[in-house]
Amino acid sequence: MSELLDLAQAAVEAAQAAGADFCDAYCSDSTDISVEVEKSSITSCSTIRDQGLSVRAFVNGGQGFAMVQQLTLEDARAIGRRAVELARVAHPDPDFVRLPDPTEAPEVPELFDEEMAGLDAGCFVDWCLRGVEEARAVASDAIVQGGAGVGWGDSALASSTGVAISKRGSSAGLSFFVIIPRGDDIGTYFEQDMARRMADLEIGGVGEKAAREALRQLGSRPVPTARVPLILGPLAAMSLIGAVIGAADADSIQRNRSWLIGREGQQIASEVLTVREEPLVPAGMRSSAYDGEGVARTPRALIDGGILTTYLHNSYTAFKAGVQPTGHASRGGYGSSVGVGVSNLQVQPGEKTEAELISEVDNGIYVSYAGISPNSVNGEVSTTLDFGFRIENGECTAPISTTLIGSTGEELLTNIDAISSDYREEPGMILPSIRIRDIQIASEG
Amino acid sequence: MRELIESILSDAKRRGATFADLRVQEGDGTSVSVEDGRADKVYSASHSGAGLRVLVNGAWGFAPTNTVTPEELQRCLDDALSMAKAAAGHVSEPGMVAEIEPVEATVQATAEIDPREVSLADRVKRIVEIEQVVRERDDRIVNARASYGDGAGSLIIANTFGTWIEQQSIRCSVRVAATAQSGDIRQFATESEARPGGYEIASNIDPEAWAGAVADRALALLDAVPAPAGTIDVIIDPRVCGLLAHEAFGHNAEADAVWAGESILAGREGQQVCSPLVTIADDPSLKNLNGSFVYDHEGVPAQRHDIIVDGILVGYLHSLQTAARLGVRPNGSARAEDHQSEPIVRMSNTFIDAGDATLEEIIADTKRGLLLKGGYWGYVFTARGQFTCNVENAWEIRDGKLGQHYRNASFAGLTLEMLSRVDAVANEISFDLGGTCGKNGQGMPVDAGGPYLRIRDVVMGGQQQAGSGQ
Repeated sequence: MSELLDLAQAAVEAAQAAGADFCDAYCSDSTDISVEVEKSSITSCSTIRDQGLSVRAFVNGGQGFAMVQQLTLEDARAIGRRAVELARVAHPDPDFVRLPDPTEAPEVPELFDEEMAGLDAGCFVDWCLRGVEEARAVASDAIVQGGAGVGWGDSALASSTGVAISKRGSSAGLSFFVIIPRGDDIGTYFEQDMARRMADLEIGGVGEKAAREALRQLGSRPVPTARVPLILGPLAAMSLIGAVIGAADADSIQRNRSWLIGREGQQIASEVLTVREEPLVPAGMRSSAYDGEGVARTPRALIDGGILTTYLHNSYTAFKAGVQPTGHASRGGYGSSVGVGVSNLQVQPGEKTEAELISEVDNGIYVSYAGISPNSVNGEVSTTLDFGFRIENGECTAPISTTLIGSTGEELLTNIDAISSDYREEPGMILPSIRIRDIQIASEG
Repeated sequence: MRELIESILSDAKRRGATFADLRVQEGDGTSVSVEDGRADKVYSASHSGAGLRVLVNGAWGFAPTNTVTPEELQRCLDDALSMAKAAAGHVSEPGMVAEIEPVEATVQATAEIDPREVSLADRVKRIVEIEQVVRERDDRIVNARASYGDGAGSLIIANTFGTWIEQQSIRCSVRVAATAQSGDIRQFATESEARPGGYEIASNIDPEAWAGAVADRALALLDAVPAPAGTIDVIIDPRVCGLLAHEAFGHNAEADAVWAGESILAGREGQQVCSPLVTIADDPSLKNLNGSFVYDHEGVPAQRHDIIVDGILVGYLHSLQTAARLGVRPNGSARAEDHQSEPIVRMSNTFIDAGDATLEEIIADTKRGLLLKGGYWGYVFTARGQFTCNVENAWEIRDGKLGQHYRNASFAGLTLEMLSRVDAVANEISFDLGGTCGKNGQGMPVDAGGPYLRIRDVVMGGQQQAGSGQ
């Protein structure tokens, strides 16, 4: 692992020698093994080893970024020099101040599981066969697609300000999409499980859950066009919350392209909504002690009683705004430069169970899954409720078909009137259901 | 290199593979981003590597590497064979490939101006000029962004049938985006030019006309009102038509989905599946579109694929495997994002063909409806045939005349039901939807288009109940 850090530091030194005012280098070496299922059959296995290194260099604030899919000392130095050449072509940016200094953060335990990294393809074949069997036990005509696999690897980050971080991580998972055809009707649904340590992974039940939900989707029908309450199940709720948090990206705010401009410190949602970021959860799927620039990540409420507590800053946006970085710099790997992103999100559960929230609705929609993502610029939402049920007299009845919502992020957040006390839990994440009153839906009914 | 690759493929056969193919790829790309008048980000990336795929006892094994050396290719072979053998005892639907005649070919890139021969400073200057037009268009433009990208590379495709293809490629793209604001209303428009070709793609742009139009679209949206919700007749423009052809329909015509029982088109060949006014095809051999190519990534020549002719389903898009499974000839539709990805069935340039009406006739013949222009995004659940398309603009049509301008609306439905309600098709098509299509984690350049056409009784997901006064 220290070899990666040595390479990153060599790239930084080369960029500094070439004239970079500031620079950082990131490299990784990862392996993925996966098994694929199509039409309920194992069809293929693959093993993919990926290595690469990239350098960001700044000259008068202008940024050059260079990447190579090799991990040799010669390549590292060449990429460092190349990034500086590009930075000299870039326009100076007076808003760039500096890269962050090193910070101290506690180690997050159990992000790497030796047992998990030692799994072989035969193991994932077994997981897939089990998923197919489970689905077929629910419905003998179930068609299963999906797969299972593991990934593990090392990465390193070094910068001209003295950041020097090495990381090792692993994760494994399985997911199945089940199709149940019945005459002209068809029911489909999906389920998955992922974890960083074997103890958190539930291999059994994924195929069964997907098939049971697919069965429930048979007989879908339109609903009347009306304004109704929605209950977003855990996955649908997280798509909305994730998109709202994403719009708080300080770069979009500073550059006038976010619907959350001017809303920091203000009430953007109902008081019942609190969303915390918990980056230090042991074995959390999105846990990490440091962000993509080496700034310590901090547990905090991002939305507290409906108030947006902070914009999400990397070092560029923070220093430009005259504040400290919030630990939200993100890297998508060696192939991409630095953006903004969050770690584990936890929505604070409410007082009543999801079933109780449903029982209080006379006429509404339960949304199992939909990508409810407000347009990041104008906040408007117009999309399909992909999987869900009509709620009539306090109970979920028929699955819905061709039903859309038209709303805004502001309306959806303001109209939240309850969060469920029960929730879906992914490693590091807490996802309850959310009830939203009085939203426009359209359908053929 | 050829001797090494052929030796690896021979080894694969000797060690039990009934088929193997190897793609060796390398390339370099440059991109420039401009925002707030500054080209403050200049990036470059170098990609290289090889992907080896083997078929052993009906199971596929795949192993790529970023380092193309004899030792690494040998490791890939060992890994791919080991992967296939791990799966082989558990395959209930054996993998297979259609036999093809081996192809020996060299394909040169088509570029009038090789971007590598244009100084980086000039490329930066060009994209700054384009962003400047947007930024200075109107005081209400509060953000302008533009980006330029180019890439040049080579790809070797070799397989155990004896195919050996060396393809050079050059691609170029220009994108621009405008955000306009008035009071609390903020609106956004974007446009791109992306396709195989050289720097001429950027240099031929008229910044004032092309980028200015993007700014004007964002400004016009400031005066539009939220779209109505409910069921209504719609006329869609070529861009929305392309979105419909690609998202709602095209993914259902990919034969991997058809074979897997994940397409509403499975088992319906030869049947009337939609309006007789509808003809749909996918054609990678069309020149200068974002989805154009000469050979697919399994070495099959690019060719037009008719999918629907006069409402009758006539075929699907195939890889070597899906062609074998469905008993037809491969038609060159398998592509892989890079050497770390396996070739899968992909669309190229997908379109609904022209009819015989004019747009003016269709509008005049519409008593109450919406004219939808500018496709933003879409997606489909192929097994259910349920799709969603999001559009930038809608104009009310009343008694054959255009009226109120609406913004940001989605429409959705069941693909074949909706295509059965097409009752008017205009007589000109255009391709305006060059972009990247995502499937199984792989992004692939595609294009899509079509004519203006009218669909009856479409569900629109707007913010206002229809008839509420908006």
